Amino acid sequence: MLKNYFKIAFRNLWKNKGYSALNIFGLAIGITCASIILLWVEDEMSYDTVVTDQERVYSVPTNQVYEGQTRTFFQATPGPLAAALKAEIPEITRAARFRNADFLFSVNNSSVVSSGSYTDADFLDLYDLKFIEGNASEAFKSKDGIVITQELAQILFENPNNLYGQSVQINQKEHFKITGVIENLPKNTTYGFSWLVPFENFTQDKPWTQDYGSNFTDTFVMLAPGADFNTVNAKVKQVLPAKTDDADTQAILHAAKDWHLRSDFKNGEVVGGRIEYVRLFSFVALIILIIACINFMNLSTARSEKRANEVGVRKTLGSDKKQLILQFITEAMLTALLAAVLSVLVLLLIIPAFNGLIGKQLSLGLTVPSHLISLLGITLTCGILAGLYPAFYLSSFKPIAVLKGNRIQAKGAGFVRKGLVITQFSVSIVFIISTLLVYQQVQHVKNRDLGLNKENLIEIPVNGDLIKNRNAIAESLKNTGMVGSLGLSNSNIMSAGNNGSGLRWQGGTDTEDVLVSFRYVTDGYLETTGIKILEGRGFSTSVAQDSTHVLITESFAKLMGAGSALGKTIDWFGDTVTVVGVTNDYLYGDMYGTSDPVMFFNFPSEAQYMYLRTNPNYPADEILSTIEQTLKTYNPGYPFEYEFVDAAFDRRFKNEQLMGSLSQIFAALSILISCLGLFGLSAYTAQQRRKEIGVRKVLGSSVAGIVRLLSKDFIVLVLVSIVIAVPLAWYIMYSWLQGFAYRISINVWVFVVAGIAAIGIALLTVSFQAIKAAIANPVKSLRTE
Amino acid sequence: MIKITDLEKYYATEEVRTIALNKLSFQVQEGEFVAVMGPSGCGKSTLLNILGLLDDPDGGSFIFNGIEVAGFNERKRADLRKHNIGFVFQSFNLIDELTVFENVELPLIYTGVKPAERKKRVDEVLEKMQIMHRRKHFPQQLSGGQQQRVAVARAVVNNPKLILADEPTGNLDSSNGNEVMDLLTELNEAGTTIIMVTHSEHDAKYSHRIIRMLDGQKVTENVLSEYKSKTLEV
Repeated sequence: MLKNYFKIAFRNLWKNKGYSALNIFGLAIGITCASIILLWVEDEMSYDTVVTDQERVYSVPTNQVYEGQTRTFFQATPGPLAAALKAEIPEITRAARFRNADFLFSVNNSSVVSSGSYTDADFLDLYDLKFIEGNASEAFKSKDGIVITQELAQILFENPNNLYGQSVQINQKEHFKITGVIENLPKNTTYGFSWLVPFENFTQDKPWTQDYGSNFTDTFVMLAPGADFNTVNAKVKQVLPAKTDDADTQAILHAAKDWHLRSDFKNGEVVGGRIEYVRLFSFVALIILIIACINFMNLSTARSEKRANEVGVRKTLGSDKKQLILQFITEAMLTALLAAVLSVLVLLLIIPAFNGLIGKQLSLGLTVPSHLISLLGITLTCGILAGLYPAFYLSSFKPIAVLKGNRIQAKGAGFVRKGLVITQFSVSIVFIISTLLVYQQVQHVKNRDLGLNKENLIEIPVNGDLIKNRNAIAESLKNTGMVGSLGLSNSNIMSAGNNGSGLRWQGGTDTEDVLVSFRYVTDGYLETTGIKILEGRGFSTSVAQDSTHVLITESFAKLMGAGSALGKTIDWFGDTVTVVGVTNDYLYGDMYGTSDPVMFFNFPSEAQYMYLRTNPNYPADEILSTIEQTLKTYNPGYPFEYEFVDAAFDRRFKNEQLMGSLSQIFAALSILISCLGLFGLSAYTAQQRRKEIGVRKVLGSSVAGIVRLLSKDFIVLVLVSIVIAVPLAWYIMYSWLQGFAYRISINVWVFVVAGIAAIGIALLTVSFQAIKAAIANPVKSLRTE
Repeated sequence: MIKITDLEKYYATEEVRTIALNKLSFQVQEGEFVAVMGPSGCGKSTLLNILGLLDDPDGGSFIFNGIEVAGFNERKRADLRKHNIGFVFQSFNLIDELTVFENVELPLIYTGVKPAERKKRVDEVLEKMQIMHRRKHFPQQLSGGQQQRVAVARAVVNNPKLILADEPTGNLDSSNGNEVMDLLTELNEAGTTIIMVTHSEHDAKYSHRIIRMLDGQKVTENVLSEYKSKTLEV
């Protein structure tokens, strides 16, 4: 029986190649979309598997209140917190500090920079680390022990075996002994590293790391099995206020399962994060799949007259309704299967491009059982979703009626069909509107006046002798004409960086509650970055001369009361410093928000980044090789690393740009699918009404009149779709925009453009068939009736 | 075999109610060949549909093989139909996507006959209908006469007790028409009961008995002389 179903399904597909192509192509788009999104979702959901017991391992961010607002900070706990948590809260069985750093490894004359962390021995038990050499309990026994990943071992050593006890030189100074080689971490690890060394290596000769005054490290804890999160979290919150008399700063727990997907905090609580994109895109995948299935439903029921005779014969010969339903579902399944095969081919082609778009390494991996099952699942869902309604509809025909050639009473089906077309176009219009608004929003932020000049600005991490030789480097580079100026800073120009509160200053009230950022820079920094001095002067080349001088941003100056801020003093943790210059405000940290006031100090020794203003008249590669040679001269032994600040800036909008690109793709695909459906339906309508068209033409109707007649019904459907889509899209995008402090307002023209586009596209699709029908010879169509 | 009494059928649209069958009564014995004649719209096709269990009467009684079938649901009707009744239509109603062999095989599939047995029976009937050489062809590759032979083959492959023919020669030229009528006669002589609706006096002469209808009612019933004795014996 099934063989018979498949046979007739195949022959039907083959006989109606045009419709079959429309159906298969439409479903293939849907399946491709759903599959690729599922791959992405799988990747997003697969983070931090290195933490076996996700309910027990937590990172510890801090909630801090400034000017009445609770803000959440990561890598912002004081040094002694970890030990205190473990000592004072019995449910906490492990606690570790964790701070990232870049090490320059030198082995056998070759140098490699690699990222890793300073941490405590307890950390080795939080992650499920697989030791190839050494073990977790012994690795940190000695302060100069280092645990490295297999990958780093392979980079450092020609023979990466039997490394235990081998010595490696770090930053051309200290030596560490390898006490552990571990398997590589899974690539989806939020807090990743290539090496780990005992935390004491960081705290030595930094007395400020020993008290509660500085928040400079991440803290991780593990709870005892069965410990109640709420109880422990409440206890954790009380620890810092008790130690510091500052009730406004509380440590909180952030579960490992939430690290990747739920890391956005508002008012001190987790409010979401990437999980929203995961949900959104999963929903979108389903929607696209549904609108692809709608095509199948519509084309199948529209063509029902062609199948009616067969239904009649089969029923007469003894088929019951159930058997017919099964037969039509089989047909839908077969179509879906063919679509799945096509979609696998398409996926193989487009996954590399998609990876480029989203910056991941997804692969189709059909040998992975879960992938194969998912693909089959999507295909089956598709087949059932698409086939069920046509199957019930077609199998309900009365044999006598259809065999006698009576026209099928298809009022109900026609109504459903219209509803489905409206659904498709509503979705498409929502996508068009969303695409326009996402694009506008991203452009809006990217074109925002940052208060600095990110173009032709190169950032280089500071290491070795860069601080010491900065003036010589600047001199040498300036002489080439390729670099205009050079400046150093303790903080990445776009990051929130070092900050603090509790300051007092002249002319200010309630100043202690204001969070201020501190930038330790060199004299060339402002000129290099393009931050302008509005009042007063910049720093001199003499650090000593400026030891009690600061520059402040405009927003800070405003906090110092009316009149010029020049000459006013600030009490900076016991030191009195005098304002000698005021700069414009510039944007850092949250690119959508407003940045905190900044104090600049002339203090090069803490520098982490070097900035170079390059001359755009020279080609970039020439500039880079010149800089590299100069740095090799003045800072030998370190590999040359750099970053263009404008590129780094663009990367900050990765999520938004991803959202923008994907919504463009989805909009295009949903329109394409909808139009395929409309194309098929209009062909069917034109065919069904060919007698009417013939009569009308004989009676004197013009071609334009016929085209209008045939297009009108479809355009009405699109108009209804616009009415449905506009408020829906407005609501969705309004909600999305609320997530950004710096945002566009929604303009009416977006809806107008989307509406006109939808009508235009629909008209174009429909008119092709309408014109074809209208210019056909009426005699022909009348004779065939 | 068939006994209908006061059979009624109405067709209602929003404005008009048309009486298709008006208290129609007659009987058909096993082995009979009955022709039903009458002008268009007299209700003969409606009658055939009810006799074929494709449609349900609105009133009256319909006894098939001693069982009252009026009021049977669709499932029961389908079951009875596929084991007992074969159909031959004016427009052949072959399924275009299936070959000759597959078309004829279809009723056997629906009655659950095993593949090997199916092949045997289909081959037999195709041989009998002399279209074996066309078994792999599709309907559109055949002439009208050949198509109707396939349709007859399909109707008899399940060895039904009753064949209902709705103007079986209506779409055929006279020589092909005669061939089909000869086929039906052979089947009848082999024991199959046949009820045929026709406009053709020529075709009607192949039958034993002619029932003439008008406005849903039987007007006359002639037993053809050469079969009279045989019919009266039953």
